[in-house]
Amino acid sequence: MSLLAVKQVYKDFNGLEVLTGVNLDVREKGRHAIIGPNGAGKTTLFNIISGKFKASRGYIEFKDNNIGALSPHARNRLGMCRSFQITNVFHNLSVFVNVQAGVRCACGLRYNLFKRPENMAEVNRRTEAILEKIGLHDVRDIPAGELSYGQQRALEIGITLSTDPELILMDEPTAGMTREETAQAIHHIDVATAGRTLLIIEHDMNVIFSLADTISVLHHGTILASDTPEAIRSDQRVKDAYLGEDE
Amino acid sequence: MTKRNTFTAVAWVFCFLGAASLPFLTSRYQISLLTEIIIFALYGVTYNLLLGYGGMLSFGHAMFFGIGAYTAGILLTSVTGTPFWAIVVCAFIITALAGFLVGSLLLKVKGTPFALLTLAFNSLFFAIAFKWYAVTGGDDGLSIQRPNIDLGFWTLDTSNVSTFYYITLIVLSASILACWYFTRTAMGQTVLLMRENENRMQFIGYNTAVSRLILFTFTACFAGLAGAFYTLHFRFVSVDAISVGMTTTVLLLTFIGGTGHFAGPLIGSAFYIYLQDYLSEYTDRWPFFMGLIFIVMVMYAPGGVSGIIVSGGKWLQERFRSPKREIEGT
Repeated sequence: MSLLAVKQVYKDFNGLEVLTGVNLDVREKGRHAIIGPNGAGKTTLFNIISGKFKASRGYIEFKDNNIGALSPHARNRLGMCRSFQITNVFHNLSVFVNVQAGVRCACGLRYNLFKRPENMAEVNRRTEAILEKIGLHDVRDIPAGELSYGQQRALEIGITLSTDPELILMDEPTAGMTREETAQAIHHIDVATAGRTLLIIEHDMNVIFSLADTISVLHHGTILASDTPEAIRSDQRVKDAYLGEDE
Repeated sequence: MTKRNTFTAVAWVFCFLGAASLPFLTSRYQISLLTEIIIFALYGVTYNLLLGYGGMLSFGHAMFFGIGAYTAGILLTSVTGTPFWAIVVCAFIITALAGFLVGSLLLKVKGTPFALLTLAFNSLFFAIAFKWYAVTGGDDGLSIQRPNIDLGFWTLDTSNVSTFYYITLIVLSASILACWYFTRTAMGQTVLLMRENENRMQFIGYNTAVSRLILFTFTACFAGLAGAFYTLHFRFVSVDAISVGMTTTVLLLTFIGGTGHFAGPLIGSAFYIYLQDYLSEYTDRWPFFMGLIFIVMVMYAPGGVSGIIVSGGKWLQERFRSPKREIEGT
């Protein structure tokens, strides 16, 4: 059963056509990767799925709801959460508060005028568990802006997990990392997203082929092919369009 | 952490007790000045919730202060026998409504457009107060008598300077405490998220429009309460209370006190009122000197007086700690 279905989505920015009829089906509990050359429209597609932009045409269905008109926060509450390619955290607040924000939101304590965050036992327990998972437990009281780049990327993943989403959208989680850092980050992602649905944009081919069970190739604003990693690897069109360009 | 909290709590209790004992120690004039300081402290605290905590620069905070001030003035001149508590409650509710209304019109705008639109709304309310002579008294303003407080067994004579000071101290301290508590709640935390990264908040499920509206309404109603006490204190309200000048006042005193700390506006208010009192003894051009101080503060001490105190404290701590560290290191 598909959790997320993107149907004939078009997007143009003042006449510049970025997406030209994207169709995508993300299976429940699947690990779906989107690859494609720079400028193929991968991040734009993420922005449309997560609600940052509205599609010019087409439908997006999440858990059988048409979510095309919903705002980002409403989509999040239905059970999806995204990470950002360019680190997007709460810089002057502690690591703990960064993660706690999403957990608090998922527990319905967004605008409470009486409860104090330190007394929310369940929220704090879940926050601690996430910090443990992403390996930032030791730096929990440090402002997010003072973390190293690798740690900030880990926090980015932590914030994405914080609202306990069914569908996790990850936009190049390993961007700018060294090979070792990448390997570790992928391990973190693998563990942290176990049992959930993952849709990931990635450049590193090794990462993709080891993590994903389905790969879609986005090229010039449309999905060129969507298949298992083995099939994608041997697909001639994909080789021509994308894999060939790297070598 | 708890040790520090206990220390802070004890310090506040002493501040309050100190303030409560002052009528026995100083002149009536000083008490009157102190009353004014408390009123402007609450006004500044509400402004700092917007600016320092929420990161929203408003040039229209005086509209709420003014609406509170006029609510008190109009109730006292047109409805005979309005009890004291009714004035306070009405000022609170009416400015809350005004805050909700204006806030809901400003949900989509941020940064400079937000600042300019708040200025425009302030001017709109100023124009209403100025032109609607029959109700507001226009340029002449409204003179009022403070109503006495009847407790049933005991009547408080509010025309007594010390009595009014105590009433102001109790009601407005409780309001400042409520504002402080606000910063510690889940909503207070949400306000910090707004300042830091409003864009990311949306993607973890926060409706930023709701967050803004709650903050705006909250700060408006407490600013209105300060405004009501302003009218009661001076027994007079005119367009000054709702003018852009009144916004400048709160902006100045909040900046001078410092936006980085909750107590900033409290210090700023004391500093502002005393300095104004001192300067106006020597010259009519005290706003000029106030402006100079503001410029110097913004350029050289953007953290304000509270920022100077905090960094001074840190410096002292470092000085006393560093020898010990060296010993540990060897």
